[in-house]
Amino acid sequence: MGFDLNRLIRGRVWKFGDSIETDAINPYYQYPTMEELKQHTMEVYRPEFPREVKPGDVMIAGRNFGCGSSRPGLVLREVGIAAIIAESVSRLFLRNSISRAIPIFVVPGITALAEDGDTLEVDYPKGVIVNPATGATLPVNKYPAGIEQIFECGGLLQFAYERYIREAALAGRSGLEKQE
Amino acid sequence: MRDGMPITESFSNQLDLFMAQTMAEKLLTQHNLAGEEVRAGGFLEARIDGAMCHYHAAEPMHDLAIEAGFKDGLPKVWDRSKVYVLLDHHQPTLSQKLADENAVARREVERLGIKCFHDSEPGIAHQMMLDYGLVRPGELVVGNDSHTLGYGSVNAGATGITRADMLYVLLYGELWFQVPQSIRVVLDGKRPDYPIAKDIILYLAGQYGDDFAQGMSIEYSGTLAPQLSIDSRMCLSTHGVEVGAKFAMFGMDEVTRQFVTTRTELPFEALSADQGAQYAREIRLSVDDMPFVVAKPHQFGNVVPVDEARGTRINQAQIGSCANGRFEDIEIAARVLKKHKVAKGVRFLISPASQQVYLQCLKAGLIETLIEAGAQVITPGCGICQPRVGFLSDGEVCITATTRNFKGRKGSAKAEIYLGGPLTVAAAAVAGEIVNPKEVFSGL
Ligand code: SF4
Repeated sequence: MGFDLNRLIRGRVWKFGDSIETDAINPYYQYPTMEELKQHTMEVYRPEFPREVKPGDVMIAGRNFGCGSSRPGLVLREVGIAAIIAESVSRLFLRNSISRAIPIFVVPGITALAEDGDTLEVDYPKGVIVNPATGATLPVNKYPAGIEQIFECGGLLQFAYERYIREAALAGRSGLEKQE
Repeated sequence: MRDGMPITESFSNQLDLFMAQTMAEKLLTQHNLAGEEVRAGGFLEARIDGAMCHYHAAEPMHDLAIEAGFKDGLPKVWDRSKVYVLLDHHQPTLSQKLADENAVARREVERLGIKCFHDSEPGIAHQMMLDYGLVRPGELVVGNDSHTLGYGSVNAGATGITRADMLYVLLYGELWFQVPQSIRVVLDGKRPDYPIAKDIILYLAGQYGDDFAQGMSIEYSGTLAPQLSIDSRMCLSTHGVEVGAKFAMFGMDEVTRQFVTTRTELPFEALSADQGAQYAREIRLSVDDMPFVVAKPHQFGNVVPVDEARGTRINQAQIGSCANGRFEDIEIAARVLKKHKVAKGVRFLISPASQQVYLQCLKAGLIETLIEAGAQVITPGCGICQPRVGFLSDGEVCITATTRNFKGRKGSAKAEIYLGGPLTVAAAAVAGEIVNPKEVFSGL
C-alpha cells in the first residue's frame, strides 16, 4: 500500500494540461463507487484514459493539478498510476496524496521534458527525473523529513495509528489490548 | 484580459523589519506546538482550535479509522467540544446511501460524545459554522471541505484538509502545516450598492490565473475592505481556494466584532499582521474601475468582461452555494426581479446557503418577490452547486453565482457553465441571455 521512496519509477507518460480538477479525476457525483470511478476517471479530458491506462504508467500535468474540491486521487492509484508529476499541484491534492502515500512530485518544467507516450524515470533517492529517449533531466526536490516519515508509514492513517499504539503503550493504558 | 486593466502590482520591500510577521506567520506561531516562532516556508505541528466535519464526516471517517488499524473505529476525539459535525450538503436526504451514512454519523456522534451536532439541517456547513458562531477570530480551524477558507472572513485562520488529515486531527487536535507565503490583495474603492465580491475574485483570477495564490495566505486589505459586508467577505474568503490559497483572511474590525459577538460568548483574540511584515507579492485592484466579468466554461480563471459574452442565450440561471447563497446575493436578485419577470424558457434557481439565511430572506419579503417573478427557491444546501438539483442537458447553457464551472459540474459534460456575480446572473435571468447588468438594473 505504502510508497517506497527508494524505488525507481519507470513508466509510460500520460500528459495533461493546466488546472486539471478533482471533478475530472474523481467524478464521484455521477460515479460513487470505486469500480465506477475507475471506468470514468479523467474521461472528460481523455475519453480513452480509463480504457487504456496500464499499471505503472505515469501522469504528467501542467500547473495547478488537482484543483477544486478536497477529494483525493485514490482512483489514479487504483488504475495503476505509479507517479504524478506536475508543474504545480493544488495544496489539497498535494496533502491528499501525501496522506495516502501516493507518489507525487512538483517539478517545474516537467511538461517540456516529455510528451504523451514517452517513457519517464523518476529516481527520488538521486533526486532526478530522466527522459531516457532524449537524455533530458530535471531535479526532484526532497520532501522534509516529517513528510518522508508519513510516506514511509504508508500514509497518515498508518502514521496516526502507530502514534496511538506508541502513546497507549507508554501510558500503560488498556487501549492497546482493546485495539489490537 | 491581461492588458489595459486597472491593476498595479508590486513586490514588497525586502528590507522591511525582520521580526515583523504576516497574519499567517503569527497565527501559526501562536499555534505551534513546539512554541517557536515560525516563518513562511517552515514546517510545524500546529494545535487546532476547531474541526468542522460536514456530511462526509462520520461514515468515511469510521471506514478510514478501520483502514488505519482501529478495529472498532475511532477510539476517541481529542476534545468533544471542538469537533463540529454538521450533516449538510443534501438535506432532506437525497438517496438511500446518504440516509444510511447519516445513520452512521448519528451513531458515531453519540458514541464519541461530540457536543456540537447539527443533524440533517438543510444548508451548507460553512454558512452554519458562521451563523452559529462556531468560529472565532484568531482561531486555527480546519474542515474536511475545500471551502473552509471562508471563515477567514471573520478573522480566523481556516483551511480545508483531507480526510486522512481529519482523522489525525480528531485523534490528536494537531496537524502538520507548512507556513505559507503571504500575498496582500489591496482592494481600493467605494462600496457600490450591490454585491461586488464575486466580480472581484473572478477578475483577479482572470488577471493573474486561477492559481495566483497557490499554497499562499491571502490578506485582504485596502479602502474597500472595511466597507464590505461580512457576506461579501465570506464570498472573497471562500473563493480563496479557487485561486489556490491556504488561508484567505480579513482583518478584525467593528463589523467583524458585531457579527461574532452576537453569535458567541466565548472569548477570542483578534489576529493582525505586523507593520513591515514580508509579503511575497502585493496586488492592488481599483474596484471602481473594474468591469462586470464572467468566467466562461470550464475554468474559474477563464474570465472576460461581461460585454464579451453578451448575447449568449441561457437556459438556466442560479444563485446559491457557500460562495453566493447569502442574504445580499439573494437581495440583489429580488431587487432586479421587483421590476422584471424571469425570461420565458429560463429556469432561475435560487438556494439560500442555510436555514438562517432563508429565514432572513423570508422575513425581508424577498422570497415572495422572487417567486412572483418566476424564480424557483430551492431548499438550502449544496444541490444547486452540484449535479444534484437542476441538471443541465447536452448543449444547454447556465450562468451561475456558485463556486465552480468545471465540465460536468451540473450534469452533462456537453453543457456550458458561466460563472458570474449575483447581479449579472439575475440580469441574465430576466434578459434570457448574458447582458451587462447596467442594461437591466437601474440602480447602477
Ligand atoms: S456549496 Fe458547493 S462548493 Fe460549497 S460546500 Fe457545497 S458543494 Fe462545496
